[in-house]
Amino acid sequence: MDFFSESLQTALGLIAAHDPDVLNAVTVSVVVSIWSTLFAALAGIPAGVALGVADFPGKRVAVTFLNTLMALPTVVVGLFVYSVISRQGPLGGYGLLFTPQAMVIGQTILAVPIMANFTLSTIKGADPRIIPTALTLGAGPFGSVCRLVVELRFGIMAAVIAGFGRVIAEVGIAMMLGGNIRGYTRTMTTAIAMETGKGEFALGLALGLILMSVALIVNLFLNFLQQR
Amino acid sequence: MNILYRLSNIRKMYGQRTVLAINDLAVCARKLYTLTGANGSGKTTLLSILAFLAQPTSGELFYGGEPVRWKNGALLALRREVTLLHQSPYLFNGNVASNIAFGLRVRGIKGDEQRRQVEEALELVGLSGFGRRSARELSGGEAQRVAMARALVLRPRVLLLDEPLANVDRSTSSLLEELIVNLPGQGTTVIMTTHDPEHPDRLGGELIHLVAGELTGPIPTFASPVKEGEYEQCRPLKKPAASFLTV
Amino acid sequence: MKPLRTLTLALTALVILCSSAGAEERLKLSTTTSTQDSGLLKVLLPPFEQKHNVKIDVIAVGTGQALKLGEAGDVDVVFVHARKLEDRFVADGFGVNRKDVMYNDFVIIGPKGDPAGIVKAKSAAESLKLIAAKGATFISRGDKSGTHTKEKELWQAAGVEPKGNWYVEAGQGMGPVITMATERQGYTLADRGTYNAFKGAKTDLVILFQGEKGLFNPYGIIAVSPAKHPHVKYDLAMRFVDYVTGPEGLKIIADYKAHGEPVFFIYKK
Repeated sequence: MDFFSESLQTALGLIAAHDPDVLNAVTVSVVVSIWSTLFAALAGIPAGVALGVADFPGKRVAVTFLNTLMALPTVVVGLFVYSVISRQGPLGGYGLLFTPQAMVIGQTILAVPIMANFTLSTIKGADPRIIPTALTLGAGPFGSVCRLVVELRFGIMAAVIAGFGRVIAEVGIAMMLGGNIRGYTRTMTTAIAMETGKGEFALGLALGLILMSVALIVNLFLNFLQQR
Repeated sequence: MNILYRLSNIRKMYGQRTVLAINDLAVCARKLYTLTGANGSGKTTLLSILAFLAQPTSGELFYGGEPVRWKNGALLALRREVTLLHQSPYLFNGNVASNIAFGLRVRGIKGDEQRRQVEEALELVGLSGFGRRSARELSGGEAQRVAMARALVLRPRVLLLDEPLANVDRSTSSLLEELIVNLPGQGTTVIMTTHDPEHPDRLGGELIHLVAGELTGPIPTFASPVKEGEYEQCRPLKKPAASFLTV
Repeated sequence: MKPLRTLTLALTALVILCSSAGAEERLKLSTTTSTQDSGLLKVLLPPFEQKHNVKIDVIAVGTGQALKLGEAGDVDVVFVHARKLEDRFVADGFGVNRKDVMYNDFVIIGPKGDPAGIVKAKSAAESLKLIAAKGATFISRGDKSGTHTKEKELWQAAGVEPKGNWYVEAGQGMGPVITMATERQGYTLADRGTYNAFKGAKTDLVILFQGEKGLFNPYGIIAVSPAKHPHVKYDLAMRFVDYVTGPEGLKIIADYKAHGEPVFFIYKK
C-alpha cells in the first residue's frame, strides 16, 4: 500500500509542478492519439458500414479477416511500418522514422480494424426498418445509408471511443516508430516503459495515473459529444 | 379509370418457399383498396413490391404503363411517387418536425416552404404544435399520426399502408380513417392492409384477398369480363399522366 | 459542429508540433538503454545543442538494435559499448572514424548470503564456474548486448557451458535484469553505472566480484558512413564526435556523478 500512496503523491507533485517532461509527454500522447483516431475513423467507419450494408461474394472471408486483424499485436504493426519507412525500406526517402508522424501511421493501422469491427456490429444490430423507411420517403441508396449512420451515431461514437482508447494506451508502436525521444516522440506510455525498465516503479505508476486522468478527460468530452 | 399497376405472373420466393404468386392483378389509379388475408399470406410482401422496395423473383410489374426496371436510377424516381407506411413505423431520432420534413429535405424543399408544408401536415393529422416534440416521447397513436403526416406531406401518387389502424386509440383511428377515405378523391391511390373484418365495408373500396400468397375471391384485373354493377373496368393506359395532382 | 472545433484544435496542435520539429536541425543518435538510463546524456548533450542550434534525437534501444539502426542509415551516429561488434560495424563499412570515449567496468552482483561463495574467487571466470557448480540462479541478458557479449566470453574462459534451470536468459535490458535477479535472489553480470543507480532502494544485491581487467567496459562513438548512406548528417555527426571526445565533453563525463559516485571514467591522455 505504501507503493501506491507514494505513486499518488508523486503524481500530484508532478502535476502541481507542471513538470515540463510530463507535460510534453502528455501532449505527444494526446495529439498523436487524436490524429490516429481521426484517420482511423475516416477509413474504418465507412469500411464497417460497407461490410454491414452491402452483400458481395467473399463477404464472410472479409469479415473473418477483419476479426483476425483485431488481434494484431502492436509490436507487429510497429515492425511492419518500421520495415516500410526505415531508410532501407521502400518509403525510406521521406525520413519518417522516429517522428510523431510515424507513430500516427502505425496507430492508425492499429485502430482501423477496431473502428470497422465496432461499426459493423452496430450496423448489424440496427433496426431493419431504418433503410426501407428512408428509401420509401425518397432518399436514394447513399442517402439511406447516411441516414442509417446518423441514426446509429451512438454506436458509431462507441467505435471511435474504443479506437481512441486502444491507441492512447499502446506502447509497442510508439516505442518502435517514435523511438521514445525526449521532448519529441516520448509519450506517456513509452515514458512509463522506460521508467519501469529503470526500476522506478512508483514513478512509472504515477505517470500511469496521470495518463488515466488525461484519458478520462478526453473520454468525458467524447461522451458529451455522443449524447448530443 | 387508369391502370396504375399491372402485375403479370409475379412470383416472390425466399429460398424454396414461395410467399407470393400473383398471375394477374390490376390496380387502378385514385382508388382505395383494402388488402386482407391471414398472417403470412403475403400482404406485406405485396406492399413491398408495389413500393419498389423488394424485387419479385420473377414476373413483370408495370407502373404507369411502363415496365419497371429494377435499377437504382429508375427506382429512385419511382420510389418518390410511392410511399409505404410500415406496420409499426420507425421514427428517426430528432423531433417531430424533422421527421415530417425528411422526405421534403431529400427532394430539395427547404426553408420557409418546408416549414409551411410541415405545419400543414401536422394540422391534417391533428398534431398542430407538436413540431418540437421529440419523436421518442410520443404515444402509439401520436407516433402513427406523425408517420402518416410524414408520408402525406409528400403528396404521393400511391400510399401503401400496412395495418395503419392496428394499435391506435379510438380518436386516432377515426381521424386516420377519415383521412384515408378522402385520399383517392384528392388524387392518391391507397392500398391498405387490414385484419379488421369491418374495414372493407366501412371504408368502401375494392377488396384484394390473399390466401397463402395467392389471390382468391373476385380479383380486379384488366382482363376479366365486365360484370354488371360489381367491377368497374380499368381502361388501359394510353400515356402516363404528366401531373396527377388535382388538389 | 462541436466535432469540427475539436478537429481544428487538434490540427493546430499538430501543426505546432510539426513546425517545432522543423525549426532547427536534428541529429539522430542511437545508443543503449543503460547509457541513457545513467543520465549522462541529459548533461552531456545540451551544451552542444545550444552552441550549434541542433536538437539531438536520442534513440535508446538494445545494443544490437542501436547498431542495426546505424547499418540501415536510420541514425547519424552510434554510441555503444560492445567493442567487438563496433569493430565489425566499421569493418563492414557501416561506420567511420570510431573514437574511444570513456569506460567503466562490469561487476558480478548477487545475494548478500553468496550461496555460491564467489567472494573467494580469484577471477571473474572462476566466479562463474562456482555459480554453475552450485547451480545458483544466474540471470543472463540474453540479448547480444555488450554486457551479454562479455558474459559469454567469461563462460568460455571458465570452460563451462551454462545450461539448466538455474541459468535464466531474460532477453531484456540491464535494469529489468537487475530487478529480476533481485526478485529471484540470483547472480548477474552488471555494468557498474546501472548497478549504482539501482543500489539501495531498488535492489538488495551486493557486489561480490569486481576489479579485474577482463571486466573492462569501454564505450565508443561512431559516425555512420556517408559512403553507405549519403543522406546522413556526417559533418554534424563528426562535430558531435569531436565535442564528446574533446576537452569540454570529456570534462562533463568525468565530473558526472550519480548517487555521489562517478559513473564513467575517461582515458588518461
